[in-house]
Amino acid sequence: MAQKILLVDDDADFIEINESVLKAYGFETESATTSEEAMQKLRQGSFDLAIVDLMMEDLDSGFNITYAIRDDENLRELPILMLTSAPKKTGFNLNFPEGKEWMKVDDFAEKPLKPAQLVERVKKLLQKNN
Amino acid sequence: MVDNGEHILVIDDEEVIRSGCQHILESSGYNVDLADNGQTGLDMIMKNDYDLVLTDIMMPEMDGMQLLEELQNLEKEVVTIVITGYASIESAIDAGRKGAFDYIPKPFNPDEILARVERGLQQAKHLQEVRRLREERDRNLLEISNERARTLTIINSMSEGVIATNRQKQVVLMNPAAIKMLRIKRRRVIGQTVDKILRMPDLVNTINEKLEKVTETLKTTKLEFDTPDERVLQASITPILDEKKACIGTVTVLFDITKEKQVEQMKSDFVSHVSHELKAPLGAIEGYLDLVLDGITANDPQKEREVIEKSRNRAQSLSHLINDLLDLSRVDRRSPAKEMEPVQLDGILKETIEFYKSKAEEKSIKLSSSISSDLPSIRGNEQDLNRLFANLVSNAIKYTPENGTVKVKLKQINSHIRVKVSDTGIGIPEDVRDKIFDEFYRTDNALKKKISGTGLGLSIARKIAEEHQGYIEVESNVNEGSTFSVTFPILKSST
Repeated sequence: MAQKILLVDDDADFIEINESVLKAYGFETESATTSEEAMQKLRQGSFDLAIVDLMMEDLDSGFNITYAIRDDENLRELPILMLTSAPKKTGFNLNFPEGKEWMKVDDFAEKPLKPAQLVERVKKLLQKNN
Repeated sequence: MVDNGEHILVIDDEEVIRSGCQHILESSGYNVDLADNGQTGLDMIMKNDYDLVLTDIMMPEMDGMQLLEELQNLEKEVVTIVITGYASIESAIDAGRKGAFDYIPKPFNPDEILARVERGLQQAKHLQEVRRLREERDRNLLEISNERARTLTIINSMSEGVIATNRQKQVVLMNPAAIKMLRIKRRRVIGQTVDKILRMPDLVNTINEKLEKVTETLKTTKLEFDTPDERVLQASITPILDEKKACIGTVTVLFDITKEKQVEQMKSDFVSHVSHELKAPLGAIEGYLDLVLDGITANDPQKEREVIEKSRNRAQSLSHLINDLLDLSRVDRRSPAKEMEPVQLDGILKETIEFYKSKAEEKSIKLSSSISSDLPSIRGNEQDLNRLFANLVSNAIKYTPENGTVKVKLKQINSHIRVKVSDTGIGIPEDVRDKIFDEFYRTDNALKKKISGTGLGLSIARKIAEEHQGYIEVESNVNEGSTFSVTFPILKSST
C-alpha cells in the first residue's frame, strides 16, 4: 500500500509542486492550507509523514502544528519534515546541537527542495520510523 | 640728555622753586609739567598719568595736605613726594599718613632731589607692577567664575544626561536631562550614593568597577539597558583620573536610544519580511521549473503547460511586489526635490477610471463616477496621486465580487477636496481596520479568498496622502462593502 503524506503549506503552489513530485514517486498525498485543517485531516486519516511549512500566514502556526502533533496521543510518533523559506539570517537556528531539540521535528529543509532531495529525505524519515 | 620718558609734575606757588626743579629734572632727562597751586595740580593729575608728583605743602587755593587727601578720596594712585620748608618730623609723618611716599626738606640741592625722585620713580614702577598683577588676578578670577557658569550652563542644557561621581560613589553632578531620563523623583541627588539614586544595577556596578579598579588609561565602558518603562538607554562611563592616574571619580553620559532601537527593529522586521516575500515566489518558480526539468511532467503535456503558466504568474506577482517596494521607497524618500505643483484632481481621476474600465468589465463590475470639474487645485505630485488613486480603485475592483459596483466621487468640502472610492466588496472587519494600512498586512478574508496582493498598496496610499498634507479614512461593513476617502487641503492661492 502506498505511504500517505500530508502537505501543510499556505502557499498552494508549494503544495502542488511537492504533490506532483511525491505522486510521481508513488506516494499518496493530501494537503491542508491552515493549521486547523491540518490537524483535522491528521486525526481522521492515517498518515505516515507530515511535511509542514514553518512560516504560515502568521509566524508561529507552523510551530503550533508540530506541538499539537506531539501533544496528540495518536499522532505523537508521526515523523515531521519542516520546510522553511526563512533566510538563515532571520535568526532561526536550524542546526541545533545533538539532544537539544527545542523544535519537535525530525528534519528540516530550506525551500525550494530539488525533487530528488525531497524524495530522499522523505524516504529516510519513513524508513527510520519503520 | 637722556629722555627717560618719565613724566613728573611739580606743584609749588614759588616760581623759583618750580623753575629750579624743572631745570634739575629736565637736565636729567625727565619730562616736567608745572602747576602753581594744589587745585591746578589736582586737575592735571586727574587728566594725565604722572609717574611722580613733587608738591609743596604751603600753597594758596589748595595746600599739599589737602591735595594728598583729595588724591586718597579719588583713589588716585600716584607716587607723591612733598617738599617742605619746615622739615619737621611731624609734618613728614602727617604727609606720610596721607599717602606721601617721601619728603624733601627745603632748602635742597640737586643731587638730593634727583636721588629722591629716582627712589620715588622706582616705587611708582613697583606700584604699577602690583596694580597690573592685581588686575590680572581679578580678571582671572572673573574668567574662572564665568567659565564655571558657562560649563554648568552647557551641561545643564545638554539633551544627553550627565552624572559625575566622586571616589566615594557620591553624585556630585547630575544634569536635568539625566534626572528626566532616569525618572528620578528625589529632590536632593547631590551627595547621595549612586546605588541609592540609580535603580539600574548594571550601571551602578560599572560605576563601582571604574572606581575600584586601578585603571591605567582613560577607558570608557559603554552599556545599554532597558528602563522599567521600556525605554532603552545607552551609558558611557569614563573614569576621572588624577595626575598619578588614580581614579578620583566617574563621568557617565546617558543617551536615550529608544527611537533608534525602534527604527532598527522596524528596519530589520521589514527586511526579513521582504526577503520572505521575495523568496516564496522565487522558490515556487524554481520548484515548478524543477518539475519540468526532472521530467516529472514529461508524460503530461497539459500539466506541463499549467506548471509553466503558474510559474509565469508567480514571476508576475514578484514583479508587482518589486514595483510596490520601489514605490514605497520612492514615497519614503522625502526628497525636497520632489516636484510638488498645483494639480487638478478631476483629470487624474478620470484617467484612473478609464484605465481600470476593462478590468471592471472582466468581472462585470459597474465602475461609475461623479466627478465635479473646475474645483480648486491642490499642491501635489501627479505621479504619486496617480498611484494613490490607482491603488484605491484597483483594490475596490479586486475585493468586489462579480456584478458589484465601484463608485468614484470627487467633491469640495469647505477648504478641502475629497476623493471617495466605494465598493460593494467583501468589507473589512472592524478590529483590523487600523492594521490595513500597515506594510504587508493582509486580512484573513483576503487570504482565504486567495485574492492576490502584496500587502503594500494601502500603506503606499497612506504615505502619499500624508505627503500631500492629506489623510485617508475607511468605512466598511463586512460583506457589504468599503469606502475609502482621501481628503486634501486646497491650495490657498487657488481659492
